[in-house]
Amino acid sequence: MSNSNVSLYLDPQIRDWVLFPITLVMILVGVLRHYVVLLLQNPPKKVPRAAIREQRALVRSQILRATSAESPIPPTYYKSISQHLSQAFLDGTYLKDGPPKDESEKPKAPNPLTDPAAMDGMMAGMKTQMVMMVPQMIIMGWINFFFQGFVLIKLPFPLTLGFKSMLQRGIATPDMDVRWVSSLSWYFLNFFGLNGLYRLILGGDNSADSSRDMNTPFAAAAMASPQAGQPQDYNKLFKAERDNLEFAEGLYSWVAKDVEARVLKKYGR
Amino acid sequence: MSTTQDNAAQLLFPPNVQYNNGRLYTVKFLSACAAGAVAGVLGLENWLGFALFIFSTLLTSACLYLKCGGRPAKFVPGGWWELVNPGQENIFSFVLAWTLFYGIVHVYD
Repeated sequence: MSNSNVSLYLDPQIRDWVLFPITLVMILVGVLRHYVVLLLQNPPKKVPRAAIREQRALVRSQILRATSAESPIPPTYYKSISQHLSQAFLDGTYLKDGPPKDESEKPKAPNPLTDPAAMDGMMAGMKTQMVMMVPQMIIMGWINFFFQGFVLIKLPFPLTLGFKSMLQRGIATPDMDVRWVSSLSWYFLNFFGLNGLYRLILGGDNSADSSRDMNTPFAAAAMASPQAGQPQDYNKLFKAERDNLEFAEGLYSWVAKDVEARVLKKYGR
Repeated sequence: MSTTQDNAAQLLFPPNVQYNNGRLYTVKFLSACAAGAVAGVLGLENWLGFALFIFSTLLTSACLYLKCGGRPAKFVPGGWWELVNPGQENIFSFVLAWTLFYGIVHVYD
């Protein structure tokens, strides 16, 4: 029968030598992981000025469009920028290789496997993944080896019996309450609960976050697809952007339109 | 076509929004940890502990709402739900702090 109000007495030394060290080690390993990833990152490649200008032209028009419905810039400026960009996209003045010389020339798409830039991107993604996984496995092995076979802590909330085999690994008692758990479950609690702490001490973009590990398969796939898109035809993009600029110009409205009337109304005249 | 939500979001300045979100996250994380500590020290069990977590979330969001001067749309895209919603990771932080303090105070002599 389960005794729910009999409590086990645990040696305080377990608390000193197991509870705090596991937490401390996990915090420190997380910080270490973050800095290792930072050090392993390759410095970004230098892109020639013409290529950057091409990308930035696209970004400029996107920024302009993003706030067109409540635009902070007056109509004369908005229209002049919009028309200048539109004309430049049509003429191809921002293209990396100069305006298109003839219509039948198609840009060659570099093969992603042989293009060195794409390879570097994929390697960086895989390196980050390895750095994330390896410390977790090492710590789990360390905990299983040294801290096995005893009860560590009592959970304040109940769990179903299904968790018993996972959380009480190494303790062979068939009817002890599931709330008494072993060190491995303390590891899992720490694993999920320390992400907020990492964000506090390492800043928002840290690499110690375990919730990012869930995103890495998607991130690796997402990195692979823009790599295939890099040899994309900026000419076509610019043409599409011209259409978008026209739409945005239709939506455009200045925030300070009729501001004189509004101010006068506000002060009651 | 842009909806009112987009229009409202366009009026916010992105770097400021990012800063606000960071601050918001910090506040929510610290309140989750503090709630966990309180729950642990008081020895709350089962659903009482989770009720304390919900109560602390509501208290935190009320304080944040006051701090926004009653107009959260001016500071954060998404209105009042952004203020109330504890981050998905903060519930784990709450459970971690709760278990830690419960263990220290009530389980160990």
